Amino acid sequence: MRYNKILIIMVVVLAGCSLTSHLVMLVTDINVSVIFGTITGLGSLIVLSSLACCWSSTITSLKIITKKLNDNKPEEAYAGAAKQLLPLLESIRKFSQDSAKKTEEITKQSMDFNLQLRLLRREKKNTESILYSINDAVIVIDGYDRLIMANSASERLFDFQFDELSVAPVSEVISDSKFISLMHQSGQSKQSHVKHDISVERGGEMLTFDCVISCVKDEAGEVSGVVAILHDITREKEISRMKNDFVSHVSHELKTPLASINAYAEMLVDGEAEDQATVVDFCKIIQSQAQRLNRLIEEILNISRIESGLIKVDKKPFSMAILIQESSKMIESYAKEKNISITVPAPIICDQVNADKDMVSQVVINLLSNAVKYTPKGGHITVESEVHEADKNICVKVSDTGVGIPADDVEHVFDKFFRVEANKKVAKGTGLGLNLVKQIVEKVHDGEVFVTSKVGEGSTFGFNMPLALEHAGKVSN
Amino acid sequence: MAHRKALVVDDEIHIVQVVAIKLRNNGFDVTTAENGAVGLELAGEICPDIIVTDFQMPVMTGLEMIENLRKQESTKDIPVIMLTARGFAIEEGQKESLKISAFLSKPFSPREVLKTIEETLDTAAVI
Repeated sequence: MRYNKILIIMVVVLAGCSLTSHLVMLVTDINVSVIFGTITGLGSLIVLSSLACCWSSTITSLKIITKKLNDNKPEEAYAGAAKQLLPLLESIRKFSQDSAKKTEEITKQSMDFNLQLRLLRREKKNTESILYSINDAVIVIDGYDRLIMANSASERLFDFQFDELSVAPVSEVISDSKFISLMHQSGQSKQSHVKHDISVERGGEMLTFDCVISCVKDEAGEVSGVVAILHDITREKEISRMKNDFVSHVSHELKTPLASINAYAEMLVDGEAEDQATVVDFCKIIQSQAQRLNRLIEEILNISRIESGLIKVDKKPFSMAILIQESSKMIESYAKEKNISITVPAPIICDQVNADKDMVSQVVINLLSNAVKYTPKGGHITVESEVHEADKNICVKVSDTGVGIPADDVEHVFDKFFRVEANKKVAKGTGLGLNLVKQIVEKVHDGEVFVTSKVGEGSTFGFNMPLALEHAGKVSN
Repeated sequence: MAHRKALVVDDEIHIVQVVAIKLRNNGFDVTTAENGAVGLELAGEICPDIIVTDFQMPVMTGLEMIENLRKQESTKDIPVIMLTARGFAIEEGQKESLKISAFLSKPFSPREVLKTIEETLDTAAVI
């Protein structure tokens, strides 16, 4: 009997194992189904059916064996048990094989899944790094106006801190109501790209941005989000304004001599010159105005050539004091018209520079003519030149008793097209002369320009320029 | 018949000179001024029949001079012709509000200036 009981227990255990393995299979399959979908779920149903059949068959067999043992027919019970046991063992072996195969498949799928997950995370990180590194502000909201992405540039622009984990309505994070309204409007209009110029105040400065707002659409064509990209165009706007001012100034400056040429030529044609002397006067005016026109065009072209590095430079040694004397003679008549006196330095030795004489002459003439232009009648202009032996350079200063420049404007006077607002009414100009001085001194001759000024008292413009090397050596020796 | 009086205002000496010669040769008494401030003062003194002025000038622009002319009883109705290289700088409606009779762009024709002055004076005489 004891043997019989052991046999029965074995059968029950085996049946239990079979049941457990089925259950494991089922549970695993359900897990997989959760991950991979309904296909394997269907497999689980099939396993469940087979499990039910197997369990039912085992119960029936147990009942038969128990009956044989109760009827004192142990041989038949053993035979029945063995008969029952063999397919059960086969079933277990098969389930075990299936289970191992499925486990292997699942492990492989899991590894693939993990790999894909890592790749996706890396891709997301890369995309975020790119978005965060660009200088343009990028802001993304979802279909419910919640902020889901904002890069560092946008945080700086609108002064907020983006929290990836806290999904909040964009209007609660960004306070610029005009920008928020544009994003709403774009989302509602469902337009692919809408471009706006918007102004944003940052640190007391008004900046202009080119704002492109695009709708993100799902497969059904519904708006699922809105992306805004803001590009700072403040500098471009400023350059554009300066260019417009420049065109306006230059066209006026060009048209003035052209107007004279045109008018006097017409007067000659119409016989308005009453005598030969007047005819000659008219012709001289035409000639001088044509030269003026040419000088202006040359000035514009020179700045352009120096900036682009295309200007031909002819450097030769010459005395700075002599050049100053020669240049001041060219301004004399202009200064006399305003009864302005000019004091120039006496020729000194050891003041040779290795430079382009025409260009440096242009520098001195521009500084002198500016001084005359902005000095009231009866004023005085002093030109000084000092050789700094230790620094191996020469310093030239042009001081006037003119109107002076307000402190805020001093640092801009060498900027291209810049004109001191307060002095615009004192004299005409293009805002090119001092820029040309700076370009010639600093870009072509490795020197440096400087200016000091006081409103109502006058200004001192000047430059330092290296002495000719051979000569500088003599000085230092 | 008394000579008609013209005031020519421009900081460009050659422009002032050429317009003045053209007008003198055609029977005008011409006075010249180097900027808007001097022009305004002379206009008050001589009460010209017509003023020809530049737009951009130091000290006082042509536009500022006209604004001031319109405020004074003795000069408020003097017809003004503006010579300018910057016609686009005039704001919409300023031509009417400042009663500027005509704009002539630089480079201009002295013949055209004379013709415009004659037409302006004829119109003013009819009114």
